[in-house]
Amino acid sequence: MNELIPLMVIVPMMAALLISAFSKFDKVIRIFAFVVAICLPIIPLASNYGLHFFGGYQPIVDNVTNIVYHPAITYSFSFLQQIFIAVIGILTFLVVFIYLTKYKKVSGPYLFLLFMGTASVTALILTDDIFHMFVFFEILALAQVGIVAASSIDYSYEMALKYMILGSIGSPIMLLGIGFLLAMTGTVNVTDIVAIIRGGLLDITSPVFLLSLGLIFFGWLYASGLPPFHTIKSGIYSKAEPHGAALLQSFTVISMISIVIIMFRIYSVLPIFEVLIVLFSVIAMILGVSLALTQTDFRRMIGFLAVGELGFIGLGIGLGTQFAITAGLFQALNEIVITALLFIGFGAIVNATNEVDTRKLGGLLAYHPKVGIMLLIGGLAMAGVPPLSGFQSKLMLVQASLSCGYPELSILTIMVSIATFVVFVKTFYSMFLRPKPHDLEVVDKDVPRAMVFAMAVLLLIIIAFGLFPDIVTNGISSYVGGMLQ
Amino acid sequence: MKLYDQIFYVVKKFKELFSPGPVTNADVSGSITAEIFLIVSLVIASLLLRHVSILLAGLVTFILAIVLISNIPLIPKFKIEQEDSLEKMLFYAIIVLGLIVVFLYWGGTLV
Repeated sequence: MNELIPLMVIVPMMAALLISAFSKFDKVIRIFAFVVAICLPIIPLASNYGLHFFGGYQPIVDNVTNIVYHPAITYSFSFLQQIFIAVIGILTFLVVFIYLTKYKKVSGPYLFLLFMGTASVTALILTDDIFHMFVFFEILALAQVGIVAASSIDYSYEMALKYMILGSIGSPIMLLGIGFLLAMTGTVNVTDIVAIIRGGLLDITSPVFLLSLGLIFFGWLYASGLPPFHTIKSGIYSKAEPHGAALLQSFTVISMISIVIIMFRIYSVLPIFEVLIVLFSVIAMILGVSLALTQTDFRRMIGFLAVGELGFIGLGIGLGTQFAITAGLFQALNEIVITALLFIGFGAIVNATNEVDTRKLGGLLAYHPKVGIMLLIGGLAMAGVPPLSGFQSKLMLVQASLSCGYPELSILTIMVSIATFVVFVKTFYSMFLRPKPHDLEVVDKDVPRAMVFAMAVLLLIIIAFGLFPDIVTNGISSYVGGMLQ
Repeated sequence: MKLYDQIFYVVKKFKELFSPGPVTNADVSGSITAEIFLIVSLVIASLLLRHVSILLAGLVTFILAIVLISNIPLIPKFKIEQEDSLEKMLFYAIIVLGLIVVFLYWGGTLV
């Protein structure tokens, strides 16, 4: 059933367009959005692995060089894509569910942005075409700007505009890099480019090839929110609605791994590529956690922690071995789930108190014990406490860096995990455990049930991945093994 | 007494960092943790240079440790540079782009 592969992109994209076009019919678009959101995680789970060639253009064999060329835009679907698209589908469903239950009248354009963002990241992880990747990277950036601008939080417009201005630097530079690559290889299909490089038909020491790496790498830094874009990335998370922020961070993680996998396939012949990734990942880990420790706005604090966690993913990929890349990708999967749980949980607290400053909060465990306990477990998972999912991926990263001969990176990984634990303990104490300040009014004592449901679902995934990591890591490891051959 | 005065000065600077608003023990503890974390992690990260040259790693680590410790508190300075100002974000974006290109152009074929 390879026909289902393009549907993973087409279904959310068509849903986005239809919802936007018929946004006047509130009840109809509510039901339609709910049904489509349920379908999103089911389609990848029901689909078989394989390739899809758009337009039906089959690969062509060059009889002189024996290289297989792919004239069509190709989607490649294997276990890695399946698990990430299924998780993003579950998250989109939960976010849409929270949104539909929160507002009496839903906004068609906002739902359009949520579904369009999901369609874009799905296309990003499926595509084997570097220009196709860029197109959806751009659509995703615009959807992210829209999601932030549409939130009712103060200064969200300003932050969205800043993100767009920075994007106007990052995106064209990435396109320029893709242009250089196209000029050198004559193709935008990643498999073809890799075949040309491995076949020795391209001089990898050429300044143009190196420059294309530099430019695409810079675009990747913007897409993934690694330094110097860590400030704006944490800023947009803090200015989006909590459920929107949960989805935004998952978009960031998926775009980060999609682009880095493509870059890895093309540029891993240059050892400096891995050095660059490790360098920026280490800086992200150090800056993200240091700045999270000094925040008093807990949404910003989670934003910086999310950026710091991206460093772990980059570290795994930068180390470049099968085990390390598997660890990095498993960490990416865990981060999507854990950070979404934290954003939704802390969003529930904002809903109840209308306050984001940890200095003005306190005693909330008495009012919201369920949310408090689920947030505590989510925070422990992020810090890497056993037996939760974050522990498994971080342990793999420590082992990977030790086996690669970099004990410094193992020490750094452990230190960042400890600092993450400190951030979370400090925030949890300030918000839930210390006595409630006299001037704090708990506006709405009931946390929306949809939020509690979403947190419970995400918590189950965290515990399942923590207890049985093999259900994910075996499949990812096989994919990575194939990629490294 | 000199070290005590220096630590006291760090705490005073942290108080300014959190103003306006009350400063709690948890906030100051968090900032001191961030300060120590920043120094130690940068020093450990600089040890990675041993893969290029052991002498270089030793020198850089030693000089970095002295520079960082003699410049505490670092976090207020870091925080000022990491604020939501578009000018600063653009400045660092351009600097990083320049560094990547230089790094690749002169170092791309060396490793």
